[in-house]
Amino acid sequence: MPSPRSTRSAHALRLVATGLVVAPLLALGACDRMLTTAPDPGDLFDAPLDGLTSAEQAAFVEGDAQFGRPFAIGEGLGPIFNNVSCASCHSGDGRGRPENILTRFSLGADLLLDQGGPQLQDKAIPGAVAEQLPVGVETSRRLPPPVFGMGLIEAIPADSILALADPTDADGDGISGRPNMVTPPDFVPAHEPGGGAGPVLGRLGRKAQTSSILQQTVDAYHQDMGITTDFRPDEIANPQASPATQAADRVADPELAASAVRSVVAYLRLLAPPAPGQMTAQRELGRQRFESVGCAGCHVPSLRTGPSTTAALAHRNVPLFSDLLLHDMGDGLADYRSDGNADGREWRTTPLWGLRIIRDFLDGQAFLLHDGRASSVEQAILLHGGEALAARDAFAALPPEERAALLDFVESR
Amino acid sequence: MRIRRAPFALALVMALSPCGADAQPDEASSADSTAAAQRPFVPGGYNDKPYIEGVFGRIRVGGYVEAAGKWEREDGVNEELGVELTRMNLLTSTDLRGRVQVWGEIEFEDGGEEIVLELAQVDLLLHRWMNLRGGILLLPIGRFNLAHDGPRNELPSRPLLATELLGSALSQPGMGAFGQFGDPDGDRLTYEAYAVTGYDHRIIEESSVGTRLPAGRFNREDSNASPAWVGRLEWSPSRRHAFGLSGYAGVYNVHTLDGLQVDERRAVRVGAGDVDTRFLGVRLVAEGALVEVDVPAGLSGLYASSQGGFFTEVSRAFGSGWLAKLPESWFTAAARVDVVDFDRDLRGDSVRSLTLGVNVRPIPETCFKLAFTRGERRDRFNNPAEFATWVLGLASYF
Repeated sequence: MPSPRSTRSAHALRLVATGLVVAPLLALGACDRMLTTAPDPGDLFDAPLDGLTSAEQAAFVEGDAQFGRPFAIGEGLGPIFNNVSCASCHSGDGRGRPENILTRFSLGADLLLDQGGPQLQDKAIPGAVAEQLPVGVETSRRLPPPVFGMGLIEAIPADSILALADPTDADGDGISGRPNMVTPPDFVPAHEPGGGAGPVLGRLGRKAQTSSILQQTVDAYHQDMGITTDFRPDEIANPQASPATQAADRVADPELAASAVRSVVAYLRLLAPPAPGQMTAQRELGRQRFESVGCAGCHVPSLRTGPSTTAALAHRNVPLFSDLLLHDMGDGLADYRSDGNADGREWRTTPLWGLRIIRDFLDGQAFLLHDGRASSVEQAILLHGGEALAARDAFAALPPEERAALLDFVESR
Repeated sequence: MRIRRAPFALALVMALSPCGADAQPDEASSADSTAAAQRPFVPGGYNDKPYIEGVFGRIRVGGYVEAAGKWEREDGVNEELGVELTRMNLLTSTDLRGRVQVWGEIEFEDGGEEIVLELAQVDLLLHRWMNLRGGILLLPIGRFNLAHDGPRNELPSRPLLATELLGSALSQPGMGAFGQFGDPDGDRLTYEAYAVTGYDHRIIEESSVGTRLPAGRFNREDSNASPAWVGRLEWSPSRRHAFGLSGYAGVYNVHTLDGLQVDERRAVRVGAGDVDTRFLGVRLVAEGALVEVDVPAGLSGLYASSQGGFFTEVSRAFGSGWLAKLPESWFTAAARVDVVDFDRDLRGDSVRSLTLGVNVRPIPETCFKLAFTRGERRDRFNNPAEFATWVLGLASYF
């Protein structure tokens, strides 16, 4: 019979042995890195602005959920559509990939509503028929743009942007930015930024064809997802298919309440731009060349917001590197399709903020320009034409180290 | 350094342990009072439970309960920190004159928010080679779906293959045959083959995140006049080894209504393989599955037509009787790798994880578990989201 002492020793040994199994597991799981770490908000496209109130943060979280909410067929998706959620097109709230590209079509000023315009819905729920592109129309293929910083863009006084316009190139610098003045739809009230009777300054979209985040959101639900809302309660239909196929979507309209749309609008309004990278000597040289070759003529480094009822948006510098105006970009980039007052050679100056982390959300790739055709900033610059021709040629003529410095600067924004 | 030494210390304790997997009572006898020495058709399955005998005459009743405290973080943000009653299942069975057996199981999930009749099958025992079965039965797609009771599992969470790809527990109305050939207690071949209602249109129409079979698993009434076919073959050379192959094929959508064709016939096909074996004191359980779905043309590119996944779990029992006042007790250390690819045509839309755990069974019917999971989900853009989960679980038959 074992003595009490040996029994105690055996128990102690077993306790130690059990501890040797459990302790490494606990140690592994307690390691902070193993418990996952939060990325730096400055390295994200979906971080909130600094300085939000609790109520604004609550609205941000709710809007984030709505922005990420995918719609099932049984929840109203379709009958024809492009994707299932906002987040399905905007990777991490940044830009999309070529698989998510949207095709707009029209003919002159005719949006071809009777042929399914102005957007091709190439997906359809069972029972419905996806659209085919009509023959002989003008088309424009556009990657989904990033959605961060929209509130800041919206809060820049129109006068500040209009002051940059030079439609007749009066200063003779070869750059003649002009605004796209648009008429908002009736559901955008006058008290809503970008709303009212119009014409008002368009500042959102590849051709600045939209004036308000509310319109952008409502139309994305309607055109991209086939989700009807209180603002646009009628389904889109494929006029090329039998009318019977329009009954495929059996969910009662409107499929989404105005409150959900407004929460997404609030979310988009409160999204912060990512932080720019640290300035280095090379980047400072790049910044100087960016200005000296003429890039900053359109890619205006910074604008400033005016007063806003959202304190986090008021009186802030907005380092977006854009004048938000339309410019002739030459034949190479032209889509030859007008959009509002923008003609087929004009594009809104694309903001350059966020390029620093663009590859982090596109599986290591960068799809630049309106249709993603450029895989690097250098390639994108060299595809510029029209009003940007002189700047492009000046860039191309830079010594290699200065070109590298300019690219490093741009890619660090 | 501490992390690097952890697996070594674990292995050392395992190696020095005076009792390996042999100390763990064999599954066939650990908690089986009904089948006595008879080898269960599916170890750990419907007829391998610790029933309370003889209640209300010939009716046997029992059940199990699972609860867990969970702390989950994703990208450094707490997603969940709380306690849940994962499920409580009530089991019953009866034997009528040695020829007919009736099996039932009602599951209360998430604290009773969801109540499901998981099993309601009648077996007509004709011959060892062939017997008939009908009712609501567990679909033999992989072995885990047939034997998934919490008290049996070494880790507190179920494999992702089962929960996220196939939709376990997967039970549907069906009818068919089962049987076995060979030595019932030695080298044997078992089979199950049924016609079932199958996954339904909801795998597409009620899923907002792409093709998901679990969304269409609760198909309790025929929806399309097209039964699905499911079957499994298992070769088990002894009680310690089993190798299974499963197949499923069936039309999931509504293609005819009132005699009129309203859509094309679109099918789901699943192939699965599973292993449950023991060697050198280690138990290896693994299962893999490939899924093919005919997706409507209008949804291609958004809804996956090809999916796949697997899990591999190794475990080793140790410390039998170490708890002085619980002579039947033993510990088990376990590790599992889970991989599910929700769209094999994309680089993203996937999840993978590693789970490490240890549990103690103070008595054979009850298990206290501690596990840590570290994993990564990738969305359709292939953007990663890292997650970590601590689970302290308990599961017990009653």
